Formats: sequence, structure tokens, C-alpha cells
Amino acid sequence: MFRATEPTGRTPGIPAGRSRGWTAAIAAVALTGGLAACSSTPSGGGTGSGALVFADVAPFSGPDAALGPTYLVSCEGTVNAINKAGGVLGHTVSCTSADTRGDPADAVPAVGSMLSRTHNLALVIGCTSDEASAVVPIINSHKTVMFCMTGQSEFDHVHYPYFYRLVPPDLAESYAMTVIAKNLGYTKIALAFGNDIGSQTFVQPALRAIAKDGMTVVANETLDLNATTFRTEAEKIVLAHPDAIMTEALGSADATLFSEIKQLNGGKMIPVIGTSAAISPAFFQAAARAVGASAFAAAFHADNLVTATSGPAYQAFTQALLAVKGKVANAQTGDFSTYFTAPGAVHLYDGMNLAALAMIAAGSTETAKWQPYITTIGDGVPGAVVVNSFAQGARELKAGKKIRYIGPGGPTSFDSFHDSPGIFQIDTYSPSGAVQVSGNISAAQLRAVGG
Amino acid sequence: MTVFLASAGFGLITAAVLAVAAVGFTLQFAVTDVLNLAFAAVMTAGAFVAYWINQLGVSIWLGLVVAMAACSALSVVLNLVVYSPFQRRGSSPITIVIVSLGMALIIEFGIEAIVGGVNVSYTMSQGHTFHLGGLILTSVQLVIIAISVVVMAFAHVLLRYTKLGKAMRATAANRSLARNCGIRTDRVITTTWALTGALCGLAGTVFAIDIGSFGPASTDLFVVLILAAVFLGGPGHAYGAMLGALLIGVATEVSAAYIPPDYKYVVAFAALLAMLAVRPSGLLGARA
Repeated sequence: MFRATEPTGRTPGIPAGRSRGWTAAIAAVALTGGLAACSSTPSGGGTGSGALVFADVAPFSGPDAALGPTYLVSCEGTVNAINKAGGVLGHTVSCTSADTRGDPADAVPAVGSMLSRTHNLALVIGCTSDEASAVVPIINSHKTVMFCMTGQSEFDHVHYPYFYRLVPPDLAESYAMTVIAKNLGYTKIALAFGNDIGSQTFVQPALRAIAKDGMTVVANETLDLNATTFRTEAEKIVLAHPDAIMTEALGSADATLFSEIKQLNGGKMIPVIGTSAAISPAFFQAAARAVGASAFAAAFHADNLVTATSGPAYQAFTQALLAVKGKVANAQTGDFSTYFTAPGAVHLYDGMNLAALAMIAAGSTETAKWQPYITTIGDGVPGAVVVNSFAQGARELKAGKKIRYIGPGGPTSFDSFHDSPGIFQIDTYSPSGAVQVSGNISAAQLRAVGG
Repeated sequence: MTVFLASAGFGLITAAVLAVAAVGFTLQFAVTDVLNLAFAAVMTAGAFVAYWINQLGVSIWLGLVVAMAACSALSVVLNLVVYSPFQRRGSSPITIVIVSLGMALIIEFGIEAIVGGVNVSYTMSQGHTFHLGGLILTSVQLVIIAISVVVMAFAHVLLRYTKLGKAMRATAANRSLARNCGIRTDRVITTTWALTGALCGLAGTVFAIDIGSFGPASTDLFVVLILAAVFLGGPGHAYGAMLGALLIGVATEVSAAYIPPDYKYVVAFAALLAMLAVRPSGLLGARA
């Protein structure tokens, strides 16, 4: 297992003479604090002197608990491949993690703890929409480069010098879902999004895009992710007779909703259009168990960023991940190959490779020196050799060549805010949980609904 | 009207599950003097025990029985190893509450360490769907309601007509006096932990059956609903817990039909606060 326990410190001694009640209270509070610390223990074990650390800052518990392990699989696979290729300037690389629980209130202390205990922190990955608003400024002030999986629009125009993302803004994903609905001939849409920040960010752009495209929103339910049932919400959706449901409510919420909708709809699923976050083994497993794998697979579409499914970049990526299969805690669910198309796994793999290659290109692990090379290597310069893996890139750099890294997530094109949005495809699941690409969404289609 | 009737029906199911848990919780609190915030975490443990049994190809209803036994044993151990030593040292009630909060986290994170962050479901059929006027209920949901009714009847018979029930009531009313009257209160308390632990396992399993897909953190909010039902009805009162569960269950589901559903618990708790402002001891509690 890659997850290891970090020492949580000793409870200070309690002077004799203090009341027993206080003793117990302090012990209990210390116990609770210790547990909270346990929830954000690093995964990489001892970092050793000189080892560089990539930190996965994401939810490992709570409704979005599937995200952190997905990124951790990517991290462990990537650093394993980097270390096999000789490491970075003589340094090995390892992964650590901080559990944000998908909540800004939990994320801030978790990140603070991670920053204070992690020596040689080189890169942060993860920072989903759940916690990005809270943690990006902290990581930025720590002058640490981060590749984030947030689509929040606030990062479209606010410049954090150390912030990078290889995913599009959330509103583009709302537009992509609308295009899917239109392509499938649906006209009446129900929205069912979780009440977390990451899910709610899709709602307003979706409402605008659906209206602009001539479709109708017949129900708009906000799902409390801590709620135990959504029967009334499901009944309102069923009574609205939608052609399809657009949704993102992670954890057990969507699975429960689907189960209740199927029950209330005479045993039939209503077609579902999900976000790219639904492309994960944990999501498929929960939904398939709730309503049946065949029924779910037949009713489900999701947008996803275009990623390679063949070629040298894909080969290197899948080999990197397969090398850690079964070795990453909390990531042993369902069909492992789903990670090959999970947007977080793909794009964070690219981000970590970009960072590692940038360090080699700069000949330094000092952030100020290697950071500028991220754009240079990602976007390329005239005469650059295209490389598709860290090992290949490191070889070419050692040979004194300029390189352009193109990974399984495709070529990057960073703007002044360090955003490099990709393009979308339409994914479905097979009844066994394998992800299938059923179509593509062009930039023109997105512009048509987004304006 | 259709939505109202449907949501009222859904409220009955929520109330049925909640009532089983609330009765167990309030009996435990009344007799043992422990406001056990780890109750919902033990429920989750029970739900997973039933899941593991179910994964062996065994009926979930047999899994439910095993979960009851497991949670009964876990609750007894919890008391003997954790709560009882604190009580013997004269720890204040708030200390015990904090200890129970710590135990809730230990159990929840312990489960998460074992099963991971994934959500699971039982392998079972929901059975036929019945449309009764505006009510829409599956046969499994009707079974859950029936289980709840049986538990309520059991609690009534236990407390009213059995020697153990009378001993429990006496211990709850005044432990020292009960002991002086010859009641072996330690044994009564251990038996209460065993009984209410079994109810906890039952509640956890029917809760998981009801919600369809569950994970280690699924009962995080449910413990608040249990507290609301218990305090609405009057803490320590089994019948009050039943009534509180009914009101909380129906209020949350019916309100979801007319307001943004993520506010449905706000409505229930606003009603709880308003009621407690009028009757601080709860609906069936003694008048202040």
C-alpha cells in the first residue's frame, strides 16, 4: 500500500491534580484531533532526504471520496515511471496526500498540515472545485506550482502565478452536456445537481444553454449530498416526464437517486447525462449496483475531455498506471481500466510529467527556475522534438534537445492564466464498466450553445 | 396533491427507519445515561456486516439478523471498554458526549479504512411497487414499515409488561434507588446495551436497504435526525421517540415537495426549535 501513517504528535502530559473530567475531555479532544489528522495522512511514506514530493490535495472521504484515490493512482503511477527513468536530477519522487473531505473548512487545515510537514514539496495536484477556492490562494502563497482539477470560472480571470489547469471551465462542461442532450434528440431536461460547490457551478450555465438551444428545463432539483434519500425529489422528476436528467451528485447521492427514480418510474431508468466526474470506477460501481449494470449502462452518457486511446503517449500512460495496480489504497474498486479515461488521472499525469521535465530542462528543482519551462515544454518552441513520456523527454533533454511534451491528454496551449482547456468527447459505459467513446463534441457545437 | 401524498408516503418510510433508531437511542440514553453519538456509526457497522453476509450469497434478511447480533456485541463491548470506565471515574455527561463523538469517528474511519471510500448496495429485489392512492411503496418498504411497527410494539410490551422493562424504567428513573431496591442495575445496563445495540444493527440494515446505496459516511446526517426525533418527543421517552420520528420523517419529505429540497432538513429543525421553545422537555416529556 502506498498510504502510510504520519506521526500525529504526542498528547502533552496532564499535570496531576487536574480534575478527571478535564482529563477525559482533553483525551477525547486529542483523540478526535488525532483522527482528523489521520484523515489527511500522507501516502508516500518517508520521503527521505532529497526526495521530491508531489502532493495529492483532494477529497479522500465524504461524498467526493472517489476523486482523491483516482488522482493518487495517477500520482503513484507517474512517480513510479519517473523513478524508473532515473528520477529528476538525481532526486527520486514520491507522492503524499491531504484529504480535503470535499469541504473548504476541512481543506484549509488539511493543506496547512500538509505544507508544514512535507519537505521538498515540488508540486501539488488535485485541488478540485470542492476546495479550490480555499486552497489555491494558500498553495499559491506558498509559491508551489499546482495542477488543479477545478473548472470554476473564478480562475478564468484571476491570476494565481503558480496555478495551472488542463481542464476547461465548468461552464464549458455544462455546454457539452447540453450538446449531448441535443444530439440525442431530447427536448425536456431535468437537472439534479448536488449542493456542493463543485456540482452547483454547472447549474446556471446549463440553464442558460438549455434555454438557448430551445430545450426546456422541466425540473431542477438540488440534492443535499448528506441526505439519505431523495424520494420526493425523484418523484418530482418523474412527474415532470423529462426526456433526460443532467446530473452530478457524487458519493452515494446519484446512485440513490437513480434507484429511486427507477422504482418510481415503473422500473425504467430515465436517460442520464453526467459530467466527466462520473467517469470513474467508483461511480459506475455504485450506480450499477443501485439500478443494475445493464440498465445503467443503457441509460447513461457523459461528457469527458478528449484523451488518447492509442499511440505511444497512451501506451506509456497505461503502463505507468498498471505498474501500481492494486497498490494504491482506496483505489481498488471496479474496472481498473476506467482510470485510463478518468480525466483526473489523465490530465494530472500530464501535469506531473510536465513539471518533472521542466525541472530537468531548467537543471534545477527550484520552483522559480523550472516553472517557466512548463509552458515552454507544454506548448513547444520551434524545433522542439515531440515526446510522449517522461522517459523519452528526459533522454532528449539530456541529449541537449528542446522538447514538446504531448501526453495522453493531448497537446497543451496555455493562456496567460495558465489555462489549457481541452476538447470534449461523449462517453458511455459497457455493462462491465468499460468506458466507450460514442462521439465527439466540436468547438463549434460548444460555441453554438454557449454563445 | 399527487406529490403531497407521495411525499407523505415517503415520509412514512423515512419515519419508520428513523423510529427504529430513535427508540434504540432513547432507551439507551435513558437507562445508561450515555448520550451515545457513536450510535449512528455502529449502525453503519451493522449495515456493512449485513453487506458482507449478503455478498456471500446469503439473503439480506439473514444478514440483518447477523448485523443485529454483531451490533449488540459491539455495543456491549463499547460500554464495557469505553463508556463504563469513564462513568466509574465520575466523568461529566459532556465528557461522555465528547468520548462518544471520538468513538463515532474511530468507528467511521475504521470502516472507511476497511472498505475504502466506495458506496455499496445490497443484492436484493425491491419487490413489487404498490400504488395506494397517491402513495407509492415497494414491498420491501412495506416490510420496513412492518418491522418498525413490530419494534414499536416490542418496546411497548418490554417496558410495560416485563420484569426487565420495569427494571429498565426503574434504573432510568433513579439508578441508586433502583439498586437499593434490589435491582441489579449493572446487569440491567449491560442488557440494555445489548438490546439497544441489536436495535442499532436492525436500524442500520433497514436504513441501508432503504437508501439503496450507502458508504461509511452515510449516517453522518442521520445521527442528527435521530437526535431531533428523540428531543422532539422528549429524551428518554420511547413513545416520544416514535412520535418525533414520525413528525421529522414526514416534515422533511413533505417540505421537499414544496421548497428547494436541499432545505428540507432546515424546515424540520426549524419546527423542532419552535416546538422546544414552547415545550423544552419535548412533546411527551414532563412539563417544566
